[in-house]
Amino acid sequence: AAEPWPENATLYQQLKGEQILLSDNAASLAVQAFLQMCNLPIKVVCRANAEYMSPSGKVPFIHVGNQVVSELGPIVQFVKAKGHSLSDGLDEVQKAEMKAYMELVNNMLLTAELYLQWCDEATVGEITHARYGSPYPWPLNHILAYQKQWEVKRKMKAIGWGNKTLDQVLEDVDQCCQALSQRLGTQPYFFN
Amino acid sequence: QRAGKMAAPMELFCWSGGWGLPSVDLDSLAVLTYARFTGAPLKVHKITNPWQSPSGTLPALRTSHGEVISVPHKIITHLRKEKYNADYDLSARQGADTLAFMSLLEEKLLPVLIHTFWVDTKNYVEVTRKWYAEATPFPLNFFLPGRMQRRFVERLQLLCGEHRPENEEELEKELYHEARECLTLLSQRLGSQKFFFGDAPASLDAFVFGYLALLLQAKLPSGKLQAHLRGLQNLCAYCTHILSLYFPWDGAEVPPPRPTTAGPDTEEEPNRRRNQILSVLAGLAAMVGYALLSGIVSIQRATPARATSTRSLSMAEEDEE
Repeated sequence: AAEPWPENATLYQQLKGEQILLSDNAASLAVQAFLQMCNLPIKVVCRANAEYMSPSGKVPFIHVGNQVVSELGPIVQFVKAKGHSLSDGLDEVQKAEMKAYMELVNNMLLTAELYLQWCDEATVGEITHARYGSPYPWPLNHILAYQKQWEVKRKMKAIGWGNKTLDQVLEDVDQCCQALSQRLGTQPYFFN
Repeated sequence: QRAGKMAAPMELFCWSGGWGLPSVDLDSLAVLTYARFTGAPLKVHKITNPWQSPSGTLPALRTSHGEVISVPHKIITHLRKEKYNADYDLSARQGADTLAFMSLLEEKLLPVLIHTFWVDTKNYVEVTRKWYAEATPFPLNFFLPGRMQRRFVERLQLLCGEHRPENEEELEKELYHEARECLTLLSQRLGSQKFFFGDAPASLDAFVFGYLALLLQAKLPSGKLQAHLRGLQNLCAYCTHILSLYFPWDGAEVPPPRPTTAGPDTEEEPNRRRNQILSVLAGLAAMVGYALLSGIVSIQRATPARATSTRSLSMAEEDEE
């Protein structure tokens, strides 16, 4: 039985104006779009420590009733368990393709965004460091920013993106966008 | 004459075969399969010592111009540039699907593959480490498997994100659940076709085959994913089909010239004897060296400086006594 969706469901993300970064903003928009497409009301609340409040360390996360769920994948499953689903009309092959394309976006675009934000020196200096550490006093803002940068750089190295130049990353993004464009064609949505 | 000099054959260095497969390493297997699909004239060196490869890692491709490429995707891109393109007949949409499914494989299957072969203790000790320790030459076999394992474990931790494993078991369950889902999705996408995009194999098939073949063929003591995979008939048939079509002699249990699974003992014999002699010699050399240097044994023919130092040492000992 589908439990009713409470009126006071909230979505938490970082501060919109000064703090949130490109990749987190994208993830948050994705969740908001999904919930709107399902016609489920949600209130967006901005908190400076949203990243630390989240159970998995990633934003955004939603607080529904007495449950807290973070990241798009688990949120979609949670919403499905409540009886709302957007992919009911798809057959098995389409579902497989949908999952594959979601992973493509995650794998290529998200990684490219992370690379740009944290591994490209110009961007890091001008934008990322300043934004990431903005809610904290000195010297915490620097320490946290450097810590996050080191973490992201480690991850890039582990998946083989550590040695990529900016041009190569942009090439990958281009390839990915081409693939998405091909798949979309002239339809209004990917699967109808 | 000039043409003969320019066209040096491309050489591929990859991990050698085992467990009934042409190679035991995922990337090597995928690249090898792609090369077989396209009939690229590669000189394949199946080695067990990554230090012998031109780039220090396996797989590695040495192009006809002497350049060395070691990232699998780049190797395939290079082959494509040299006109060995398995994706030539694919429509743009199928090309897009290829990218998407490769991402799916990397995100969902790769972590579990790493976990199954390198993190799961039983599998690691009984299958993976055993193979690598037996195959790599002395003295690499002592530290290479451990080093590879550490690298893979680190990669897995970073791949799974900062998932604060409060509970390792829960993380494992989630990983395997997603992998099972991924396998089911692959099976549904394949349907009853021979290959993912019709009757001719493409680069996606090479990678999918790499993942599936490793999961299916290795005799894993704790093969939870293996059991699920065996239940997906079309994927099993797909694997066996590719193996029998493109790797007829490697697919056999014991390829005659280079026994890797059945004949490690006989091949080890000369190596083992040589290793024993080497270690005895090393031990003797160490003992003799220590004796000489610490003055327990003195050589009459030594230079006066050495003789005085040994004498002074023995005098010091007398004084102490």
